[in-house]
Amino acid sequence: MTRTNLNRFGTLIAFVLLCVGFSIAAPQAFASPANVFNLVQQMATLAIVATAATLVMTISEFDLSVGFSASLAAVICFVLFGQGYDVWLAVPAALLAGLAGGAANGVLVARFGIPSFVATLALGTILSGFAFGLSGGQSLFQSVPDTFKALARGEVLGIPVLGFWIVGVLGVAAFVLTQTEFGRRLKAIGGNAQAARLAGLPIMRDVIVTFAIAGGLSALAGLLLAARLGSVQHTMGEPLLLPAYAAVFIGTTASPTGAPTVAGTLLGVAITGVMVNGMTIVGVEPFVQKIMTGGIILVAVLLRRVGRAK
Amino acid sequence: MLELRGISRRFGATHALDDVSLALSEGEVLGLVGPNGAGKSTLIKIVAGADQPDAGEILIDGKPVQFHSAHDAYAAGIRVIHQDAPLVPGFDTVENCYLGRHYPRRAGLIDRRAMREAIAEVAADIAPDLDLDLPVMFLPPAERQFVRLLRAIADKGRLLILDEPTAALPAEDAERFYEVLRRTRERGTAIVLVSHRLDEIADFCGRAVVIRDGRIVARFGTGEVKPEAMIAAMGGSTTERSTRATDTTAPRIIELDGVTAGDLSRAASLHVHAGEVMALYGLAGSGRSSLLNAIWGAIPSTGAMRLEGAAYAPRSPRDAIARGVSCVPADRHRSGLFLDQDLVFNKTLPLLSTYRRARGLPVPDTMAEHAEFLVAAERVSLTYRDPQQLARTLSGGNQQKLIFSRWANRHSRVMLLDEPTEGVDVMAKATIKEIIRTIAADGNAVLVSTSDRDEALELGDRIAVFRNGGIVRIFSRAEASAEALSAAAQSREAA
Repeated sequence: MTRTNLNRFGTLIAFVLLCVGFSIAAPQAFASPANVFNLVQQMATLAIVATAATLVMTISEFDLSVGFSASLAAVICFVLFGQGYDVWLAVPAALLAGLAGGAANGVLVARFGIPSFVATLALGTILSGFAFGLSGGQSLFQSVPDTFKALARGEVLGIPVLGFWIVGVLGVAAFVLTQTEFGRRLKAIGGNAQAARLAGLPIMRDVIVTFAIAGGLSALAGLLLAARLGSVQHTMGEPLLLPAYAAVFIGTTASPTGAPTVAGTLLGVAITGVMVNGMTIVGVEPFVQKIMTGGIILVAVLLRRVGRAK
Repeated sequence: MLELRGISRRFGATHALDDVSLALSEGEVLGLVGPNGAGKSTLIKIVAGADQPDAGEILIDGKPVQFHSAHDAYAAGIRVIHQDAPLVPGFDTVENCYLGRHYPRRAGLIDRRAMREAIAEVAADIAPDLDLDLPVMFLPPAERQFVRLLRAIADKGRLLILDEPTAALPAEDAERFYEVLRRTRERGTAIVLVSHRLDEIADFCGRAVVIRDGRIVARFGTGEVKPEAMIAAMGGSTTERSTRATDTTAPRIIELDGVTAGDLSRAASLHVHAGEVMALYGLAGSGRSSLLNAIWGAIPSTGAMRLEGAAYAPRSPRDAIARGVSCVPADRHRSGLFLDQDLVFNKTLPLLSTYRRARGLPVPDTMAEHAEFLVAAERVSLTYRDPQQLARTLSGGNQQKLIFSRWANRHSRVMLLDEPTEGVDVMAKATIKEIIRTIAADGNAVLVSTSDRDEALELGDRIAVFRNGGIVRIFSRAEASAEALSAAAQSREAA
């Protein structure tokens, strides 16, 4: 195997080694069907938020509002349930809020030229204010319809429903990025925005659409999380932000030019998911888990840089 | 203080420099002029230690030295000042002058006062009006040039090499810049000035050398430095000129009436016939690139444009493409290429929707893209290994051909080319010129913007000369000559 291949597949190999290691350390608990089922369920929300981050990073921007959008969508949905609206109204309304928030991010970035880091942090903070206000700071769990819970619970053919969500959402995102004109344009904008503009690409529209999709996906992830847990707190999406970007960064180590890809991101989600799950099973203390997870991100990116420098 | 003896440098079979000798003493200003590709930049690199000569010696204060790196030359007091050398925008002049140097310390802390005093002392000599405490981002471009000068001198610079220092400056700012440079010279600093603005060389330099094809072909001493003489010395190259006269009966493809845009501050009017190449010649910032960008829809413009007789007001490059206008922008790395994407991606991007798998389905057919890439690559004589290789891995000339290939499969009514042969080797240059002629011969209108006079003469059926944001004159083939073009682009009246 050549050096380039080692670089490219190094991350994948690391993932396999990780799985093998935990399987040996805890053969009963880690490799059991029940745990794999559980792992997939735990990974789903993060995978979808990380996909949103992947799209935005493809155009070389950041969206720091993903977690806040997820919280707000879940809160809107549950508040509507509380007022007696059914799933068919509450879910689309929540998704629409996510899309609108994302589109607003896109307008701030593309139309007004505000750096995405700042724009999405500010708008995300505003969204979190709405989530706080709508929920009244309370945990919401009343009158949740069973049809809603079914979105994230249970199984079909022995596979958790959330597994289908991962395949569906990431599959579509991967197709859009690799096969469509839109995906091609996003890579062009991310690679060289000035050249993309001079090549006649509709940059402003594409950037706004990308942020809108990211907002919509974040909202979807928030809803699925709420459906799985059966309750909502106004801060529940926030812990998704950092792991989502960690997953994207780990994923970029698996691409030849260091560009974000959906497949790479899924690998990143899987690595961080398996790390946390495996270490918990083996009995590693939570604080050590955090240190290890941070360390693995650094090691992955460092190895990548060393490989690229040659 | 500096002496060069018999410096030669070869790249393969070409002599970039051939037996170049010159000397410079303290407080003296030497003008270095020559056409593009004459060897000026190689010479600068060698003096600055960035490149090593194959033969010859460099002497500093009469002692032979060997520069193995830019660091060695820096230690000897040699400073090359590029017009776009980076400054930290948020730092003030004092902080910028201390970049990369040891800070004076007092009690372990950075001694701001000592820093400021050291810089203020030099500044008082050369640029007393410069505000040392303002972040440089708030300084006008001319004063940023002062900061670069100040930085070079304050850190014991003894020989300054200035590469086109006024290219980006309007005329009145250039005056101020030379005022500062004059005072710098009076401090005993030796200066080499490289410029295409020959009147500035004539005003400012005691002596000048003209370099062409790697050799010094003329030396001018005190009182002899005249633009006309330098132009004559430079213009001896055997430029192959197109012999076709403009066919004025051919339809006018594009017409501009009183257009202003960007640097083009004075209303410009011109038209280009079918099958004609119109060269736009002038210094950087003279308005020629802005004219192209206006036609391309990349910058807002005023005035009226007509394309094939119909009103034409592109609001974006997208509009321009839809009307059959194509463009190869200047500065391919910044404005043209996607370096980390493959060749096919780079070729098909602007017209991607013409490769759909099915009508109305925005999914490109990669087989069709591949096939068209092969045809286009052949047409522009692209040398490549693999259609999937990254654009980054191509040579400069092939990168430029890659951008040309974008438009090779369609009938462009108007082709806009901004500095199409910049930074491209001789062979690729010839191919690119051939491509340009073929495009025109197919009955299209071609506009080529260039700072290279020989190229303007060689390609242009007519040549519009730009100066200070406007067209000064449009030459027909019969009227155009190297001297006439230079005189029109350089002369200062009406500035």
